[in-house]
Amino acid sequence: MKSVLHLDLDSFFVSCERLLDSKLNNRPVLIGGTSDRGVVASCSYEARAFGVHSAMPMKMARQLCPHAVVIRGNSGTYSKFSDIVTDVIKSNSPRFEKSSIDEFYIDTTGMDRFYGTYKWSKELRTQIMKESGLPISFGLSTGKTTAKIGTGEAKPNNFIKIDEGEEKSFLAPLPVRKMPMIGAKTNQKLHLMGIQKIQTIQEMPVELMTRVLGKNGHSIWKKAQGIDNTPITSYHEKKSISIERTFEKDTTDINKLRSILTAMAENLSYQLRNGNKLSGCVSVRVRYSDFITESKQLHIPYTSLDNKLIETVISLFNTLYSRRVLVRLIGVRFSKLVGGNHQINLFDDSEELINLYQALDNIRNRFGQDAVKRVVAMGSKGIGRSSNPFNGQPIVIPAHRRA
Amino acid sequence: MKFLVSSSSLLKQLQNISGVLNGNNSLPILDHFLFEISENQIQVTASDLETTMVTKITVDCKEEGIIAIPAKLLLDTLKSLPDQPLTFTIDTEKKSIEIKSDYGKYKLPGQEGAEFPKTPEVESPAVLAVAGELLYNAIDKTIFASGNDDLRPVMSGVFFQLSKEDLTFVATDAHKLVKYRRTDAKASKTASFIMPKKPLNLLKNILNSSDEEVKIEFNETNASFAFEDTLLICRLIDGKYPNYEAVIPKENPNKLTIERMSLLSSIKRVSIFSSKTTHQVRLKMSGSELQISAEDVDFDNEAKERLKCSFNGEDMEIGFNSRFLIEMLSNLNTEEVNIEMSAPNRAGILTPATGNEDNEQVLMLVMPVMLNS
Repeated sequence: MKSVLHLDLDSFFVSCERLLDSKLNNRPVLIGGTSDRGVVASCSYEARAFGVHSAMPMKMARQLCPHAVVIRGNSGTYSKFSDIVTDVIKSNSPRFEKSSIDEFYIDTTGMDRFYGTYKWSKELRTQIMKESGLPISFGLSTGKTTAKIGTGEAKPNNFIKIDEGEEKSFLAPLPVRKMPMIGAKTNQKLHLMGIQKIQTIQEMPVELMTRVLGKNGHSIWKKAQGIDNTPITSYHEKKSISIERTFEKDTTDINKLRSILTAMAENLSYQLRNGNKLSGCVSVRVRYSDFITESKQLHIPYTSLDNKLIETVISLFNTLYSRRVLVRLIGVRFSKLVGGNHQINLFDDSEELINLYQALDNIRNRFGQDAVKRVVAMGSKGIGRSSNPFNGQPIVIPAHRRA
Repeated sequence: MKFLVSSSSLLKQLQNISGVLNGNNSLPILDHFLFEISENQIQVTASDLETTMVTKITVDCKEEGIIAIPAKLLLDTLKSLPDQPLTFTIDTEKKSIEIKSDYGKYKLPGQEGAEFPKTPEVESPAVLAVAGELLYNAIDKTIFASGNDDLRPVMSGVFFQLSKEDLTFVATDAHKLVKYRRTDAKASKTASFIMPKKPLNLLKNILNSSDEEVKIEFNETNASFAFEDTLLICRLIDGKYPNYEAVIPKENPNKLTIERMSLLSSIKRVSIFSSKTTHQVRLKMSGSELQISAEDVDFDNEAKERLKCSFNGEDMEIGFNSRFLIEMLSNLNTEEVNIEMSAPNRAGILTPATGNEDNEQVLMLVMPVMLNS
């Protein structure tokens, strides 16, 4: 029988901040964007008591809990703490998946006979807490879904074991919202059908679920039965890289938009070259203030050169931006990624240009990616990420933003 | 109207020109061969409007006439018949063709011959005669390097550069370039034109089996190639060929000499492990050793080989698309090749090391990929 351990760091960002500053202990703490458009990325259990939850607009959270300490957060710091935990897990477990900055799945199948999986898990948890100083919870079960739901139930700073055969009865009394895959939309749909508890799904015929929710319905039904054969994947292959930015104030300043797009394309190109990748498809996304979102993409010959990519991004934007409406968000995405380096063109690419890019990349490698920039992109600060996106790790969502 | 012809000799001539026919023509008449029958001779024409090929066949015939015969139907019939005399009976009024063989009769519907597009004339041409062997080699050595980019039509052909001293043929797709120069043929004056790929491939196929002299006539817009009883006329690619001489590096201090076959087979093996999209391999030269390596990080593939070579210059590492190297090395036929390089971001130049005939010069250039230092 399969055995899966799910570990989740409790209110991770808050825990990290508390390690750095003990004054935050036992106080409500909010971490997230501090501007009007910011959302709560993480909040302490003290703040949750006031009805605050993550992904809530910061403005609302402040109204609910005016005496809370608000921190903008620093994703670099959190990545470092996350790496400490990853290292402990890496050195102890046979196969693990880091599914986000604060969540891990470990495949513990077949270990029971030799170590006692439950005992081993408890020891691992103690070791993580000792080495990182961060509180962590785990759920141990036979599949990813049950383990994850288990962790959610065990929290904070606790653990749970759901034995084989008990998955169904464990899940039955829980509200459907607790299941991964069921978001606000599906939740509403199920509620309209009169489904509140997972038990109802368990007792429903699978055909009905498929008819209402399509393919997902089938897999939700299976997971509700406690059956989840999703394997532990230890490597996340990057299919695309992207940057997007929501403005604090909607804008129609075309020059500013172009400058930001240029900065985004420049930064992404650097990431491509740094990761020895080429992109064959560029897309640009614009969200207007009325939330209408449009995007446009173009296939191009594989390249990683700034000038080609920036040119494509700007020309896509020029055809895309047609409504004279305020812009709320813009973003750039490079997809169709392949491993390799730019094939130099005999007539289009001058040797000087290639040498220039290499020199610029060397400066960035040494002094950071903001060390040198195009003048047009100069005004757009804080675009880009700090780590290599091609290391097989899940994306780190910056603390002051939420995807 | 009636004529008598040998099935195999008709088939042979038709196959020579049938390459012109396109799969999907805008004009239905272009799916036909035009038969122009005169006393004891037939002239057959095939065309796709860009390229036209004409061939002549001697037959036993008394009358004159003109008709278009469905090409595929006729070719398929001829291919399935053993060699024998065939009798063609043509009714120009009803546009019907009847073929009589030893086995029976076949009826084909024809088309009005006058509807067939006129064969273009090359007006006030410059004339040049070259050996069939020379033209064949010139096409064979260069055509693989020409491009397929619709946005840059000039690069989709081969550049013919004629002068009083020599003939030069150049093809490039902006990533690789081949320059083939012959000093044993000359033109009366300096001239140049860009030939499209399709007629060159047709020429190459026919010239392979012929060593007759080819008469080339050309002007600003068209060129014709005549030899034996075949004539090919095509429209030239309009535009200015890029200044290729300017991009061939002159100073290449790092010179590698290596056995061609062992390099070729080594690259072929190593490239199996390279990325399936970029086919990238790395060459690393140090001392008298060449190291060839490739990797595909997505699948964790990796290969590395070492070869003995003679290398003069500073140690260097350079990346290439292995497809280009394989094409070029396969196209050369000497025992050893020279690869001249200057910097990792500059072109590499391949030339035959030995046995390059005095009157023949081949230069192949390949652009590297931009490696991270």
